[in-house]
Amino acid sequence: MNANRLTTIEQIAPITEEGTDYDFYFGPAHSGSGNFGVKLKIDGEKVVSARADPGYLHRGFEKLMEYRVPMQNAVLSDRVCVLEALNWNLVHAEAVDELTGVEVPQRARYIRVLMAELSRLQSHLIWYGAMSLGIGFDTGFKIAFGYRDYILDLFELITGGRVYPAGYICPGGVRRDLPDGSEDKIKRVLAQTEDVMQKMKDFDNAVFSSRTRGVGILRTEDAIRLGATGPVLRACGVEADVRRDDPYEIYNELDFSIPVREEGDAYARYLVMGKEMEESIGIIKQVLERIPEGKVREPQKITPPSRVKIPEGEVYVRNELARGEGCAYMRSVGGREPYRVKLRGPDLLHMIPVLEHLLKGAQIADIPTIYWSLNICPADMDR
Amino acid sequence: MAEILLKEVKVIEEISAKFKIDGKVQRERRVWVTIDKDNLIALCNFVKELGFEHLSAISVTDWPQEGRFELTYHLWSYSEKILLTIKTKIDRANPIVDSVVPVWQENAQIHEREFHELFGVEFEGNEDLAPLFLEDWDGPPPFRKDFDWREYTRQKYYNKENEREQAYYD
Repeated sequence: MNANRLTTIEQIAPITEEGTDYDFYFGPAHSGSGNFGVKLKIDGEKVVSARADPGYLHRGFEKLMEYRVPMQNAVLSDRVCVLEALNWNLVHAEAVDELTGVEVPQRARYIRVLMAELSRLQSHLIWYGAMSLGIGFDTGFKIAFGYRDYILDLFELITGGRVYPAGYICPGGVRRDLPDGSEDKIKRVLAQTEDVMQKMKDFDNAVFSSRTRGVGILRTEDAIRLGATGPVLRACGVEADVRRDDPYEIYNELDFSIPVREEGDAYARYLVMGKEMEESIGIIKQVLERIPEGKVREPQKITPPSRVKIPEGEVYVRNELARGEGCAYMRSVGGREPYRVKLRGPDLLHMIPVLEHLLKGAQIADIPTIYWSLNICPADMDR
Repeated sequence: MAEILLKEVKVIEEISAKFKIDGKVQRERRVWVTIDKDNLIALCNFVKELGFEHLSAISVTDWPQEGRFELTYHLWSYSEKILLTIKTKIDRANPIVDSVVPVWQENAQIHEREFHELFGVEFEGNEDLAPLFLEDWDGPPPFRKDFDWREYTRQKYYNKENEREQAYYD
């Protein structure tokens, strides 16, 4: 036999210089990432580099709004972020209100804040649910989404839509007053939300904290440099909240505190989330106590859109969304439609620079934890 | 009123001591300044030293009649609690502007990448202007005012011979 024809192990699996490197795709199929992908370079179990791959939900809202009048844009603005439609409604309505200079009735301002805080509560419940799913804690996911439905029932009662309120918070106020008996229902849902928050505290056991503590640590200076805002920034020890620093609507009359943690890891973000939910419940209770009687929209009659013009000017409004800073730059040249709208969502920065930064050097098993601990929403990144 | 807006006026005074700007206070916590594009980076470095360390957003507005793009940089100061907007205009036919990445780093990088794609603005000094949202896009920058999306869609996606799609050509 010819010895040269023997197959050696080197011939079957040649050892190359590449070693244990390989490419790994997280997303974009919606299996727990949202419509968004991250391309990762892995060495063994460790992420070497990450590259975000956005664009799967790009719908071009900014361009669409240039062709529509504000009342139509109010409906469009729901769709900017699926998970907190009412907060984006408010951002849009405030930009138009500031341009037109309309005096929004006091009752409408209270209803706006009430809806924005309810929306924050349900968004934080999604956050808790998705983060539980990310660490493999299915019970937390199911309980959070179950209790979120009680808040969606309230949205259905008040706005007519469970997820998308169809422009309930519109320029000039809100579309209609709170229906009879809604105050009792809101109080009942708040009690239920307190139940789920107690459950969250009970679940904060060895599993939850050991999977999140020390994972995805974001330092304060990195957070500011990368443009992190909202709960992500507050979990890094920066006490910044648009509701207090740049107050809009009636937030300067309300009494609430801003939870801050110093650690900057996923567990700190989770703790900030829990505290923020408590603060939101406190805000809603204050609003229900103080809400005045009166009109809910100015003007009460809706003028045919063809006659309404937006006065010339430009504004930049900032709001505190559940996930961070949400802004709108609106420019008008005196036409019926805005000339240019720029929407600034928190997730463009959370999902690209911040996520890429945090994933570098992480373990594969921690990717979903880091990803969901940032409370992300691909919809408002792509717009 | 003037007393309340003292800190806003102070920001304009501090900037105009060093730069030739056109500044105004719109309301409480809102300051707008306009500068020519040659002094943009120097101004950005200066205001960052003043405390405007959070770049909230960059935006581009297209003015085709004027032949200009207007760039707006919205900056927030965590210490002063003021939103400062810097506006500058660049030539629309030759849209090149210096990048602010050296000033606000990764945050600015991603915003500039977006506007390179949507408006076709060239940011000199930004090394990664790869496409962000649009996949396999070969048309003109789609957010420009003169981009006729109806015509583009008709040519690219519809067939005039197809009976069901003829309505798009009426």
